[in-house]
Amino acid sequence: MRYYDGETAGVEAVALRVTSHELVIYRPADSSIVARWPVPELVVLGDSRHEAAPPVALRGGNARLVVEDPAWRTQLASLVPALAPLALPPIRVGRRLASYSLALVAVVGTFWGLLEYGTEYAAPLLPYSLQAKLGESVLDELLADKEECTGKVGLAAINRLANELAREAGYKHEVKVHIVEGGPVNAFTLPGSILVFYSDLIDRAKDSSQVAGVVAHEIGHVVHEHPTKGLVKAYGMDLLVKLLTGGYTDILATLGTGGNVLLAMRNGRAFEREADATGVKLLEKRGLRADGVSSFFEQMLEKEPKDAAAAAGIWSSHPPTAERIAATKRPPSGRPAFTYSEWQALRSVCK
Amino acid sequence: MQCSQRYRGPLSDASSPWTQAAAQTAAPGVPWTADLTPSRPVYDGRLGELYTIYLRHLVLMLLTLGWSRFWGRTRIRRYVWNHLSVLGDRFEYRGRGRELLIGFLLALLLLAAWGGLMYAVWVYGFHEKPFASFGLFDIFSLSVALIGFPLAYVGHYAGLRYKLTRTRWRGIRCGMAGSAWHYGAIATFLGFANAMTGYLLTPVVSVNLARPRISNTRVGTLPLAFAGGAGDIYGRYLGYYFLNILAWIVAAVVVFMAVGGTLEGLGLSFDDLGGYFAKPSLHTVALVLAAAFAAYIVFGLLILPLRCWWQAYLLRYLVSHSRAGNVLFATAITTRQMWGFLVLNYLIVLLTLGIGWPWVMHRTLKLIADQLWIYGAPESAAIRQPPDRAPGYGEGLLDMFDVSGV
Repeated sequence: MRYYDGETAGVEAVALRVTSHELVIYRPADSSIVARWPVPELVVLGDSRHEAAPPVALRGGNARLVVEDPAWRTQLASLVPALAPLALPPIRVGRRLASYSLALVAVVGTFWGLLEYGTEYAAPLLPYSLQAKLGESVLDELLADKEECTGKVGLAAINRLANELAREAGYKHEVKVHIVEGGPVNAFTLPGSILVFYSDLIDRAKDSSQVAGVVAHEIGHVVHEHPTKGLVKAYGMDLLVKLLTGGYTDILATLGTGGNVLLAMRNGRAFEREADATGVKLLEKRGLRADGVSSFFEQMLEKEPKDAAAAAGIWSSHPPTAERIAATKRPPSGRPAFTYSEWQALRSVCK
Repeated sequence: MQCSQRYRGPLSDASSPWTQAAAQTAAPGVPWTADLTPSRPVYDGRLGELYTIYLRHLVLMLLTLGWSRFWGRTRIRRYVWNHLSVLGDRFEYRGRGRELLIGFLLALLLLAAWGGLMYAVWVYGFHEKPFASFGLFDIFSLSVALIGFPLAYVGHYAGLRYKLTRTRWRGIRCGMAGSAWHYGAIATFLGFANAMTGYLLTPVVSVNLARPRISNTRVGTLPLAFAGGAGDIYGRYLGYYFLNILAWIVAAVVVFMAVGGTLEGLGLSFDDLGGYFAKPSLHTVALVLAAAFAAYIVFGLLILPLRCWWQAYLLRYLVSHSRAGNVLFATAITTRQMWGFLVLNYLIVLLTLGIGWPWVMHRTLKLIADQLWIYGAPESAAIRQPPDRAPGYGEGLLDMFDVSGV
């Protein structure tokens, strides 16, 4: 047994005598007393499950008594109830490891499930004003080095169609469409009901039904709140990776990002399918031509016969184009989404 | 006893801690008879036990969305500290989870105050000005990135102070003098100067950042001492510096030749390669990944051992130039062991998706126990309990601006 007086770094080998009201610490060589510790004031600093030899001390004191011998610790604990933490039964490591591993798998599974299915309910809880601010800040970044097209009539036409379709779906916020000059041939949706179209998409469209099809598809994203859901899922995944790695290792940030990208891709494919279906449905409900979605995809496939999305599989953010054509194929019936003059104005929205 | 032979030489060097210890111990004219009995720390922790604590910590982290980390970290420290002993006496960790929580909340407040300040700057300085595209978020992110660098150093020092004040050996509290802000300022300045000079100041930075950390450390009233100087290690560093450049050139040539050879074998030219990159297919992506992996291997084979060679040398130097009163330290850590510490540990954490973290901790403590030699024993009666009070909280800045292990 080792005794430290708490005033200097001296160490003494000592022996103990336990009475009903005190612990007598003495030098075995000459039986001289080193200290007398009243039993009610004894504390064990820690326990034998976390410390190899938890020190015994007087409450609030600096002096320490360390009993290295487990047999002695057990005896002391049996004599003085306050010293019970000195001899707690040892952990059954195998059993504990198994139960904690199972618990970990279960908790990760639950967390993943909540991310997968709970986002549906959690995303709408994010205040709309916050979503709008987020979307606007991304838009500001995006427009920093780009020209925004300002043709009033064209913009009014595309905004009218977008809001009509959104209202048809029961969406209560106003949708705002921005057209950015140039390419790529693409359009996307930001949180806060913000649609961004590149003018190349409008220029290369064969007719107005194709642009209307893309608008309808993007409205599908808006009404299902895909951008916000994607963000919540990405944040949740990030949190999961951080927590699972103890929150301390930046090494795994890279892996986390990789996992996030894959998750985003998978979400992307599910979201695209949902937006396609909703877009076509909304056009049909309004009695508008709904063949634009599939004909736009057909045009893309003509230009790029080697379908990158199909080749990339799970690495793709979009489903295979052929699959999307089959799912959205509709006859060229219904009235046009834009009047002739609206379509002309939209074609020259950047001029 | 390789170490004692290795360090017999510097006894004649006046700056050597060995000579200083001898001068302190011996009376004039009396031959030096200081006790330099060698010993090593002992680590008797078991990996399985450490894992039970760590896995429990992970489960709680997920259930509390990370808020249990302060208590989890404390439990791990309690286990590790108490299983490490020097001269037969175990360390004791007396930190509490709530102290770490308070430190974190204070750092959060500091960041919130900084956010408020940046908001004021944006409103009065940038808002609705010609360069208004520079948004509030941009200003805040940029400013946090700027203050994050020095604050990480401040956090390192303050975190070290916290850990030391919660550490006891033989019932005596350890501690750390000096100002964390002063250390942060020096570290930022030296880091900046080093980057500006193509990292030629690395020995100056290493020694001048090690000095305050070592010489401000206290075991009770006993301060540690550091007798190193950048001049001692410059020769080796310059050798490393230029060998490193050479290794990069060799690695680049090897990678270039390997890529060229592969293309030739496939009957392709570099122009064809350019074509593939213009429209990358899945095969191109796979090929690029394979090439990146091969380049990483070449890098690993050539560059990392060289870095480990330097790091092992630096650690040997820093340890052997430190002392605690008449107790001297030495290590004979080799390049291979440093590789195991720096590279292998990194790979373990990476390839086990973080679950290997306790294993890395266990390996590191075993390495310290195997490789740190302690010569002599302290004059116990001269080391007294420090009169000053320890800080009531800690590690918030470290938590906020830097990743931190246990």
